[in-house]
Amino acid sequence: MIKIKDLKKIYGSTTVLNIPDLTIPKSQCIGLVGNNGAGKTTLFRIMLDLVRATEGFVSVDEEEVNKGEQWKTKVGAYLDENMLLSYLSPEEYFKALIKIYRLSEEDLQLHLDKFADFFNGEILGSKKYIRDLSKGNIKKVGIAAALLGKPEAVLLDEPFENLDPSSQIRLKKLILKEKEENLVTFLISSHDLNHVTEICERIVLLEKGVIVRDLEDKSSMTEALNNYFNVS
Amino acid sequence: MVKTLIKLEVLKRIRGTSFARSLAIGILMLFIGILLLGYLLLFGLFLNRLVTDVLEKPDAIIFINSNLLYFFLLELIYRYFIQQLPVINLENYLHLPIPKSGIIHSLLACSFLSPLNIVALLIFGPFAYVEVMEVYGFAPAMVWLGAILLTSWSMHWFVLWFKQRFEDSLTGTLVVFSALLVSIGSNYFGLYDLGGFFEPVFTFALENPAPIVLLAIVFILSYFLCFAFYRQNAYLEELAEGEHLQFANQDLGFLSKFGLAGEMANLEWKLIIRHKKSRTYLMLCLFFLLYGLIFYTNPAYRVETGFSYLFIFVGTFITGIFMLQYGQLFLSWNSPTFDFYTHQKNGLRALVRGKYLLFSGISFACFILSVPYVYFGWNVLFIHLATFLFNMGVTIHLVIYLALWKPKPMNLNKGSIFNYEGMGLSQFLMIIPLVAVPYVVFLPMAYWFGDYIGLLALGIIGAFGLLVFPMISTKMADVVVDKKYEISAAFRQEL
Repeated sequence: MIKIKDLKKIYGSTTVLNIPDLTIPKSQCIGLVGNNGAGKTTLFRIMLDLVRATEGFVSVDEEEVNKGEQWKTKVGAYLDENMLLSYLSPEEYFKALIKIYRLSEEDLQLHLDKFADFFNGEILGSKKYIRDLSKGNIKKVGIAAALLGKPEAVLLDEPFENLDPSSQIRLKKLILKEKEENLVTFLISSHDLNHVTEICERIVLLEKGVIVRDLEDKSSMTEALNNYFNVS
Repeated sequence: MVKTLIKLEVLKRIRGTSFARSLAIGILMLFIGILLLGYLLLFGLFLNRLVTDVLEKPDAIIFINSNLLYFFLLELIYRYFIQQLPVINLENYLHLPIPKSGIIHSLLACSFLSPLNIVALLIFGPFAYVEVMEVYGFAPAMVWLGAILLTSWSMHWFVLWFKQRFEDSLTGTLVVFSALLVSIGSNYFGLYDLGGFFEPVFTFALENPAPIVLLAIVFILSYFLCFAFYRQNAYLEELAEGEHLQFANQDLGFLSKFGLAGEMANLEWKLIIRHKKSRTYLMLCLFFLLYGLIFYTNPAYRVETGFSYLFIFVGTFITGIFMLQYGQLFLSWNSPTFDFYTHQKNGLRALVRGKYLLFSGISFACFILSVPYVYFGWNVLFIHLATFLFNMGVTIHLVIYLALWKPKPMNLNKGSIFNYEGMGLSQFLMIIPLVAVPYVVFLPMAYWFGDYIGLLALGIIGAFGLLVFPMISTKMADVVVDKKYEISAAFRQEL
């Protein structure tokens, strides 16, 4: 459902991203791995049309992201805190979102029920604003917001970072469930190889903006990654 | 959708950690704003009599028409400096299914609700009513006024576009600079009569409604010029590519003689030249250096004995504009890295002292650069010296003291197009009460003992302020250290 073609991002004279061709089919879960500065976040930003591509394009269901805006209803994302309205409480934020997505209060309730475990009773009902929450809890709000409005694809940047171990496991379950029940496509970047290899059936390895491996064989995935990152 | 956006924006303001500060400034602004607009209205009401009785021109309408161009040039310049650009946190909305054009339209619509847009109405509305309507009748008066308003409003969009497009580039500076020169040149030296050349345009509006149709088209076109530009650039990244690193790497060597405070001043200097917002303030210094040309050459301010009291104001501006502007956001500039300073041994004290050092240095440089004004008389030099001393001795502490009350966090690193908080009208209006302070000293002394004694008093108080400078600056540093938890919490909260 997402296609990347001849994509290049050039800052000054350095090419930070160069992806000739990448196609992400529906309901696939893709893990994006790579060392710091490999271009993961830049790729996400270009996919979301937050940053302009120097060359080439990204399209969602044949719609180029910088030409139309229909795709925004189909793609949910959480990259960093800047995507949230930090001066609202989580509830207010979700309420503001359902107005934008044109959903009902019931839809929101159903949605939040799915996250009851994940939130661990720390998010909803507290009188705090998002900016006053801990890093992990801010992330939880962002992830729940990204999944709101029945998106067909969800982009998450480092979703496991800052989460406590039990929340990490709950998040993995949530992602797998969404994928199975609603055929949601996931694109997840992470430095935690165990987590990504567990939930993703395909891993894309970026190095200095170039895709150096595209692993789809689940059995040999772990070994290939371990070799690349020199962990053994 | 627009309603939701506006509601969210209001919530953001109310819940900001520095809401009390913004509110207080807002109320003060409202007060000053109403006062200024009231004066303009009065000016408009008596405009026809001013022209016929004071300036002794036979026909007020022809005179106004031939001078409208200067008004618009002036408007262009003040709009360039003080017109607020729309501010929004784009990251919050870009990934949501809200049409970008919707965001931009509502943003531009909000920017239109500005006091600057009724200035023309306040001045020329009454004139159209009392003068033009008497002579030409109702309909031509309305067409005439409409033509003026549409010109002024087209300028609103034009400046929004221009400021964003050429901001921080040499082209923009040159264009504004030449507009300034054209208006000064033709006005005061009478080299050429541009105004007379454009006079028929507005006279034509009195006879024929065609100009208004034309100007309406210009108005709409300028809106879409602005809209298209903002829509195209609604991205997170910086517009201008490549920093001006060649001069941004320079240290101010002499500062390192001042120890840790000097180091901090050096860091601050780098902060200033590496961010476009602060660079703008530095640029403003150069503009205000020329500001004196408008006043000192103007025959209207020439008096028999002594000098025009307005010159105190000019002197304060020329020698202190950087401190008055940059200082208002004293710690806000460091809000993203405030914890760094807190973490260093003696870091906060050094930071405050470093800032003092930098402000004094830049003010001193402005003073030195303004010395050639002595060409217009020795008193100009004395005025600059007295106001410089007063700025350094008194005003600087006031600016900093006010700035320390609930400082507002500011994100310098978001280089994107809509990130313009802390620039604009209110920053300029805040200067007015600060500039009034020298007059509190000067006016009574000048009234009783003469102009130069007034100047002397300013200078002496300023010099005395300089003597106790170390004491007061230590006090200010104490305030910062005392409030550091409060301040750093406020800075950290705003994501």
